[in-house]
Amino acid sequence: MSAMEHAEIKDLIPLKALSRLDADERRAVDEHLASGCDECERELESFNEALAAMAIVEAGADGPSDPIWSLLQTRLDASRPAQRIEDRSKRGSSRGRGLAMLGTAAVAAVVAIAVSYAFFNSRMRTDTSETSNEIAALTAKLIEIERNLDATGDQLAALQAKVAQTTDLTLASLGPDARVARLAGLDPAPSANGTVAINHSQGTAMLEVNGLPPTPDDKEYEVWWIGAKQGPLRAGTFVPSSHGATIVSLDLPPQGEVVLASAITLEPRGGVEKPSGAMYLKGDFPRH
Amino acid sequence: MTAADNRISDDALVSAMASGDQDSLARLNQRYGRALAAVADRILHDKADAEEVAADVLWQLWREASRFDRSRGSVGAWIMMTVRSRAIDRLRARKAREPRGTEVAGLSVADDPSNEIHNADRRRKVELALASLNDGERDLLRLAYFSDLSQSEIAERTSIPLGTVKSRMRAGLIRLRDALRGSVE
Repeated sequence: MSAMEHAEIKDLIPLKALSRLDADERRAVDEHLASGCDECERELESFNEALAAMAIVEAGADGPSDPIWSLLQTRLDASRPAQRIEDRSKRGSSRGRGLAMLGTAAVAAVVAIAVSYAFFNSRMRTDTSETSNEIAALTAKLIEIERNLDATGDQLAALQAKVAQTTDLTLASLGPDARVARLAGLDPAPSANGTVAINHSQGTAMLEVNGLPPTPDDKEYEVWWIGAKQGPLRAGTFVPSSHGATIVSLDLPPQGEVVLASAITLEPRGGVEKPSGAMYLKGDFPRH
Repeated sequence: MTAADNRISDDALVSAMASGDQDSLARLNQRYGRALAAVADRILHDKADAEEVAADVLWQLWREASRFDRSRGSVGAWIMMTVRSRAIDRLRARKAREPRGTEVAGLSVADDPSNEIHNADRRRKVELALASLNDGERDLLRLAYFSDLSQSEIAERTSIPLGTVKSRMRAGLIRLRDALRGSVE
């Protein structure tokens, strides 16, 4: 992009912050920002900060925050099953970190012993340069072992988290009231596929999905239950993993709703009340 | 907000939220909840809807705390930007459901800001910065921020040519940003 175009785009950034660009201007600015122009990105941030400060003062804040907390508390309570699942994978991660820390401590102890041993030897020998070389070689070797142990610990933690998620997905798919739908990729991502499972008795709903393209910064995928009575119902949002399958715990559909199908659409970050973006995957639940 | 609460940064609260700390969510709600609802109410003119939008924004932050990208702006800027966007989305959805001829309550750009302040020092600085704008710029900024009117609709409502609307909005926001630079956290 030429300097002139950059200057023109920069002039539009205040109106971008105010969401007051027409479609062509918005597209040009978004493309420019997506191309990685740090200067315009910083401009946009500074205008957003200024508008946020203005909004807080201009709108006033004369009501209590309790009603909002009540709404949040209800959602926290409702999300407890999902939280339990996330906690399990977190425990897996902390076990992994624990192992890594244990490994690090063990290596530190070995380093100390080795250095002491080498130092003791050095007192016994007259050839100090040989001893110094020994210490250097030992230390280098032990540092390498420590590095490998740290990497192994991280891999172990990631693996444990994945196993916990996969276990949850399997559990969600089992049981007398479990319902499973296979999702097939649609036009935007024909090679994508996925599985979604609902298990009310376990309070679990999970999704595993493969082959979805990465999302732009301001978008993410949203999962929907298609209910017989209420139509599309929000189930959760996610950004696909950069490698391998993505496994996500979802909000359960409301009790009493007959879920006919599930779908995944691309939506503004944070999700929307009703689907508005392109549909990437869809699948029907088998009828009882 | 207590003095002790002041010592905990928004970033630290979001980090704690990423670890599942509900107390941090409650603190962030104490810090921003009323302001979020006030901004949403200014756009929606419906208190219950506004509180729900405020809760939606904090809920989104709670769920995405581990992915919050601090390099793209402050927590405060993100939540205020998001509440405005969500409130406007809800307003559009409401308009689409309403029968033709039903007017949403009009925007009063001359409303006095509430005396209840989120942060006295911050408020003073922002008011000073707003005072550095001329009346036309200030009113246009308010109208652009707290409404879902297009630029043409703003031009029509204010009887100002479209080109002037754009240039005043732009100049006003640049002036506000420059006046606030370094003075508001």
